[in-house]
Amino acid sequence: MSEDLKIIHYLNQFFGGQGGEDKAYTSPQIKEGPIGPGRVLQDALATRGKIVATVVCGDNYFAEKIEGAAEEITQLLKPYEADIVIAGPAFNAGRYGIACGAVCKAVQDKLNIPAVTGMYKENPGVDLFKKDVYIVETEDSVKGMEATFSKMVSIACRFAAHEKIGTPIEEGYFPRGFITNKPVDKTAAERVVSLLLAKLHGLPFESEVPLPKYDRVNPAPALKNLASAKIALVTDGGLVPKGNPDRIQARRATRFGSYDIRGLSVLSPGEYEVSHIGYDSALVVQDPHRLVPLDIMRDLEIEGFIGELHETFYSTSGGVSSFETAKNMGRAIASQLLSNDAAGALLTST
Amino acid sequence: MKLELDIINIKDVQFGEKTAISDSVLYINRGELKGLLQQDKRFKKVEIQIAHPGERCRILRVSDVIEPRAKIKGGEDFPGVLGRGTAGEGNTCVLRGVAVAMSDDSEGRDLSRDPNGEIIDMSGPGAEFSPYGKTHNVVVLSYPADGTSLNDYRIALKFAEVKTAAYIGKAGKNLKPYKVEVYDLPRQGKTPKELEVLPKVAYIFQIFSAQFQALENEPILYGASIERFVPTILHPNEVLDGAIVNPYRGMGIETYQIQNHPIIKELYRRHGKDLCFAGVVLTVAHNNEAESERSTNMASNLAKWVLGADGAILTKSGGGAPEVNLAQTANRCEEIGVKTALAIWEIAADGSPESSTLFNSPGIDALVSMGTPMVTVSLPAMERIIGRAIDLPNAPSIGGQTERLARLIRGVVGQLGNSDLVTVRS
Repeated sequence: MSEDLKIIHYLNQFFGGQGGEDKAYTSPQIKEGPIGPGRVLQDALATRGKIVATVVCGDNYFAEKIEGAAEEITQLLKPYEADIVIAGPAFNAGRYGIACGAVCKAVQDKLNIPAVTGMYKENPGVDLFKKDVYIVETEDSVKGMEATFSKMVSIACRFAAHEKIGTPIEEGYFPRGFITNKPVDKTAAERVVSLLLAKLHGLPFESEVPLPKYDRVNPAPALKNLASAKIALVTDGGLVPKGNPDRIQARRATRFGSYDIRGLSVLSPGEYEVSHIGYDSALVVQDPHRLVPLDIMRDLEIEGFIGELHETFYSTSGGVSSFETAKNMGRAIASQLLSNDAAGALLTST
Repeated sequence: MKLELDIINIKDVQFGEKTAISDSVLYINRGELKGLLQQDKRFKKVEIQIAHPGERCRILRVSDVIEPRAKIKGGEDFPGVLGRGTAGEGNTCVLRGVAVAMSDDSEGRDLSRDPNGEIIDMSGPGAEFSPYGKTHNVVVLSYPADGTSLNDYRIALKFAEVKTAAYIGKAGKNLKPYKVEVYDLPRQGKTPKELEVLPKVAYIFQIFSAQFQALENEPILYGASIERFVPTILHPNEVLDGAIVNPYRGMGIETYQIQNHPIIKELYRRHGKDLCFAGVVLTVAHNNEAESERSTNMASNLAKWVLGADGAILTKSGGGAPEVNLAQTANRCEEIGVKTALAIWEIAADGSPESSTLFNSPGIDALVSMGTPMVTVSLPAMERIIGRAIDLPNAPSIGGQTERLARLIRGVVGQLGNSDLVTVRS
C-alpha cells in the first residue's frame, strides 16, 4: 500500500534547474516527476513512494509575497491529491528556507497534507516555522544530501501513516515546542548527584534544561526634570477593577488592561481585585496601594515633585508568563505610553 | 549521628478491633484513632477511610501525605509538634507500604486554584505515575468545629497528620524489621581520613516559598514556624526522622518525600564512595529583596565556610518566583567557589525553551529536569470518591473521566527528586 504514496517535491529556481539569481523572479510552475535533487529523494523513497510532480518557484517571487505565493502553490499541487509534500532541503539559503517552511505550513493547513522540510540551524526559516513543520537539521551546504533525505522520508512516511515520530534528538528535526514528560531509568536525585560530581571532577557533563536567552535591558538614563515629567503606573501584579472587565488571565496572561484614574486620589478597597496565580494577594486586596501606589503618587503630583500622573494605570498578570508574550505586552504598553507623552513609568511587581 | 530505620513491610490495611500488625497486615481500630483526633476541639468530627492500590478510587483535596513512623529509642515522634526532644538518632520504626493522606475540607485550597485540590488516584495513569497510588492509604477526613478559623483548622490538620502517623507507626514497634536502613554521619571535623580526598557535597534544601504566606504559627521545623526564617544547618538524619513537617502551602512536596528524601538518600548512598556528604542547609525563598539577599548569602556561606562544601545540590519549593531565589543562591555559591547542580521542575508556560526557567546565569550550567507539572494526564472515571467533591457547572465531574494537570495529582511530579520523569521537547 505504501508503494502508492504520492509525493510532491518543492524546489527553488536554482535546485529546480532554472538558473541563479537572474531567474529568482520565476513564478511557480509544476512539472511531472522528479527534478535535480528530486532524484536523490526518489532513491531515498525507494519503493515507499513516488514523486509525482515537482513545484519550482523563484526565491524572490516567493519572498515578495509569501502568503500569496504559498496559496498559489497550494492551488497548483491540489489536483495531484498527494500524500506527502517534501520541500527543499534549503540548507542555509534564507529566502529558500522561508519558502520551504511557508509551503509546508500552507499544504498542511489548507490541504491537510503532511509536509517535511530541511534546513541549516541558522536559516531564518527554522525559527519562523519549526512550531508548525517538521524541519530536519542539515549541514550549511549541500553535503550530506542523501542522509538528509533519508531522515526526511522516514519522518514523512510515518507522519502520513499517523505513526509515532520520535524525539527531535532521535529523529534529527528541530524541536517544535511541544513539551511532555518521559520516564528515564534514573531518578532526578540520582542524576543530579552524578551531574554535580562530573562538574566537580572537571569531566564533561550535559545539562538537561535549556536556559532561556534573555535580552539584556539597559536601564534608561534618569529623567532630568521630574517636575515636568508625566509618570505612569504599570504593574504585573494583576490589579484589576472588580469583576475583571478585560478578563486578564490569572496565569499565562495574554492581555493587559488600562484603567482610568483621572480625578481619583485613592484606589478604594472593594473596587479592585487581583487576577494572579503566583502570590497571595490578600494584602493587595486589603489595600491596592500596596501594589499600585496611587495615593503617594498623587501627593507627589500635588507637591510638584512630578509633573503629572498618566491618565490610566496599566496592569497584567505575570503569573507563569511566557517570555515572548510578556515581551510583546511590554512593547505594546510602552508604545501607548510614548504616544501619550509619558516620560517615565513606575513598574511595580510582586 | 546514627539513625536506624527499622522497616516493617505492610501488605494490606484493614479496620480491626485493635491497632496492630499481624502477618504484614495492619489493622486499625477506627474508633480509637477517631477518638484520638477528635480530642482536638478545632474539629467537629473526624472520619477515617482506607484506599487500596488498584481500587477504582479517587481521594480529593489531599493537603499532605505522611509515612507512619514511631520512635523506638533515642528520640521523640515529630519533636516540637507532638512532644519535646530531638530527631535523627536511635531507632525509628517505619511502616513501608502505608501512607496517611489528609483530605482537606476547607473551601478553596488557594494554592491549587482547583476546587478539588490535589488528588490521589488508586488506579489508572494517576496511580501509575505517583508513589501514593501504590501505597495503602489511610485517609483522614476532618471537619472544622463551628467558630474555628480557617488558619486554625489548617493548623489542626497538620497536628492530626502527625498524630495519625505516630499512632499507626506504634503498631510496628515490637516487630522484627524486614530490614534496617542505617544512616550514620559523624560530626563535623570527625570525617575519617580516607574520606578527605573525596569532594564534599552539601544539600541546600529550600523548604518553602513565601510567595504564598505560611499559616500563622505553623509547626514546620521542630514545631517552629518559618516566618522570617534564616538559613540553618541540619544533620541529614534530622530531616529523615521527623524534624520537618511539610508546610500547608508547600508545592510539589509532601512530608512523605521529606521523610524519604530522595536526594539525601542518594547522597548517603554515595557517601564514602565518590563523595563526602557534608550536611544540609535549610532555607526559604522569601518574597522581598532584603530577606532574599540575606538567605542567599547565609545559605551559601554556611555551605562553604561552615560545612566546607566543594559542591552543593539545590532544589526549590513553590512555583516560578522561588526559582529566582534558587538561582541567586546558586550564583552566590559559584562566586565563592562552591560548584552547583540544580534539580528543578520546568514550569514551561508555553512549552518553549524560553519559558523553561526564569534565569540564565553563566555559572548555573548543571540542571536536571524533574519534568513539567503543566502537562495534562487523562484519568478514568472512578467508583469511589473520598473527600468533599465540588463539581463546577459546565465542567466534567471530578468523579468521572477527566483531564488533570500533573501538578494537581500528588506525587506525579515532585520537587525533591523522586520523579524519574524528564521533559522532552518535540
